[in-house]
Amino acid sequence: MKKVLVMGGEALKNQAKGPVTKHVLKRIAENPPPEDIRTLPTIIEDRCIMCGMCVDVCPTHCLGIEKNDKDNGMIWMLRPQCMWCGNCQTYCPKDAIHIDVDPTLSYSLFSFNVRQDYEMLTAKGSFKGDTADKKLQELIEEGGKKLKEIEEFRG
Amino acid sequence: MSAELKELESILNVTLPEKLVEEVVKVEEGHFDVLTSAKNAYDLMKILHEEAGIYHLSTITGYEKEDEFNICYHIQHRIEEEVREVPINFIVTKVDKKNPKTPSMFDFFEAAEYYEREVYDFYGIYFENHPFLQRLILPERWPDDVKPMKKEYSWEQMREITMKIAKEGMEEK
Amino acid sequence: MTEYRSRFRTLTDGSDAPEGADHHVFIGPQHPWAEEPAHFIIHLKGERVVEANIRIGFNLRGIEKAMENRTWRQNVMLVPRACGICSAVHQNVYVRVVDKLAGVEDQISERARLIRMFSLEAERIHSHILWYGILAHDAGFDTMLHITWRDREIIMDIMEEVSGNRVNYSINLPGGVRRDIRPEQVPSIRERLAKLRKQVEYHKKVFTEEASIRNRLQDVGILTKEDAKKTTPNGPTARGSGLPFDVRKTYPYEMYDKIDWDLVYYTEGDVLATTLVRVDETLASIAIMERCLDQLESTQGELLIRVRPRVPEGKYMTRAEAPRGEDIHYGIANGTDKPERYKIRAPSLGNIDATLRRMDSEYIADMPVILRSYDPCFSCTNRVMLINENTGEKLILNQDEFAQKAIKAKKYNRPFF
Repeated sequence: MKKVLVMGGEALKNQAKGPVTKHVLKRIAENPPPEDIRTLPTIIEDRCIMCGMCVDVCPTHCLGIEKNDKDNGMIWMLRPQCMWCGNCQTYCPKDAIHIDVDPTLSYSLFSFNVRQDYEMLTAKGSFKGDTADKKLQELIEEGGKKLKEIEEFRG
Repeated sequence: MSAELKELESILNVTLPEKLVEEVVKVEEGHFDVLTSAKNAYDLMKILHEEAGIYHLSTITGYEKEDEFNICYHIQHRIEEEVREVPINFIVTKVDKKNPKTPSMFDFFEAAEYYEREVYDFYGIYFENHPFLQRLILPERWPDDVKPMKKEYSWEQMREITMKIAKEGMEEK
Repeated sequence: MTEYRSRFRTLTDGSDAPEGADHHVFIGPQHPWAEEPAHFIIHLKGERVVEANIRIGFNLRGIEKAMENRTWRQNVMLVPRACGICSAVHQNVYVRVVDKLAGVEDQISERARLIRMFSLEAERIHSHILWYGILAHDAGFDTMLHITWRDREIIMDIMEEVSGNRVNYSINLPGGVRRDIRPEQVPSIRERLAKLRKQVEYHKKVFTEEASIRNRLQDVGILTKEDAKKTTPNGPTARGSGLPFDVRKTYPYEMYDKIDWDLVYYTEGDVLATTLVRVDETLASIAIMERCLDQLESTQGELLIRVRPRVPEGKYMTRAEAPRGEDIHYGIANGTDKPERYKIRAPSLGNIDATLRRMDSEYIADMPVILRSYDPCFSCTNRVMLINENTGEKLILNQDEFAQKAIKAKKYNRPFF
């Protein structure tokens, strides 16, 4: 059977409580995000054996690797392209990847040539220092070229 | 003849003549594959639709092998009293690559109309006696002779065509 | 009779009209009412609808072709992105295809299967609550939208603790699941599920008794059982018209045949029947989740089994019950580590034809409610083939330029591209 004003009680109760946005800052402070939320990866340097499994399994091809053997090598990441999927953590044979850290993705729109978008996750042995810095510089320049292509297309 | 064919006939309560069926494969308990060639497909589907009472078509898949196309009709046999379904994959083999033609199943399933249009759009297979065989999903400016899902086209070629169409659209403003 | 006219047109300007129609109305790809892009062309005579047509293809992203370039392990993360809301179901069906082709489907433990069922039912709840909130908004009842979406936050908080993400919970992996439900999380989950059940029973009371919603939804857009058998819809659209088929009962997967639950169907065939089917299914899903938690206390098992990267040759087709209907995948493997052909057919494509036939000889004012009744998810509908410029990929067209082109296309009545 049809009745009228079925929601009357609930509507009056919410009217008396006031708008929710008054309390929203307090609720955000009381409920922080859970500890194992899925965000960007970081690598624990002592456990990494430079096998390259994380690079093979990444669906967006945002990781890259260059190495000589298991003690000398480097792995880099393109931050805006990471999908937060967690595949690298699942398939790492030595459990060397954590994915529960700061979730800042990128620092500007269309950012392919900003320094903070490229991160050297780990650099071991002879690849530390100069080689790592040079590689990052190369990546930033390539990103600049891609940005120019986009600008040309849009005219 | 073969044990799987007998089992399928007993579930559906119908006799399937042997010259129309190429092979019957049992995938799991209650799940069958029926293979037939393009010449006999229409007659076999007529028996399944009219005598066994199959009316539900889920989708149609086309795939490409080295020297032929195969089209797979996924139909379900529904038994309403027991609330049970028997899925059947009806695979039409030996569709020629140089001149791909096969009869359309529109007379038995109305939903086959738009699923067959999708296969035509992506592979170029021509369905005979189809009431409205035109483009379904691809945009209007896409070139007519490029059939995307075929193996000869790579991902980079598709990307180039898309950028070209988008640029033409923007310049026509 | 008249010859057959297809409801899926190719031209977007309404120039191929049926006889007896005076004028036509567009509901175009960019519209403040619609959530997802599709082009509806509705031919009218006075106030009554003669025929409703649709042009799809605005959300084509090329997922089936992209899957042939990536390995089976990388595709586990690409398949749930076919849709935003029904993402767990697509991943579950893909994982079951890989399990069967690799030959490990008998070794998956019961604990992993129960956790998979838990995430599938949670997704059904949050999708149905979203849907009937928006249906109430289309019918003009905004208060229901605010209250139902406030209650939806409960289920999203639960899943954030379990899986790490509010909407795309990718827990399924080939060989089992990725994370566990720890015993110290269970009491607070049970408490929140009990609170959610009370709220959903209140929503059901509003939908069955409140006069203003019932006047808009009852006896509108009737789909009879014979029409449903000819045009074959699936999911709650078919169960509102008297066809009692649900993939979880007719061809059970995971552990649905070992847990006790009820099948829901109504026989009237109007929009109110499909609404009540979904509300009742939400209540049934809460009961299934509680029984899964009960059974998890006493079941132990291994969470993830190792599956090799190369999958042996074979083909397999399997289905699942998504919140919108029947989701069917067909995978063909050729012995390497990349798939040969993978076909996805998401449920909304099968429901479009039946819904457009519901609109014949109804008033134009009832049209938003009927179009919302089959729960359109166009991201699921077109997935094959190219990188599209419309889904906000800012590489090609800016948002402002896109909106301006849409306005011009409507004003001068010409095709969009």
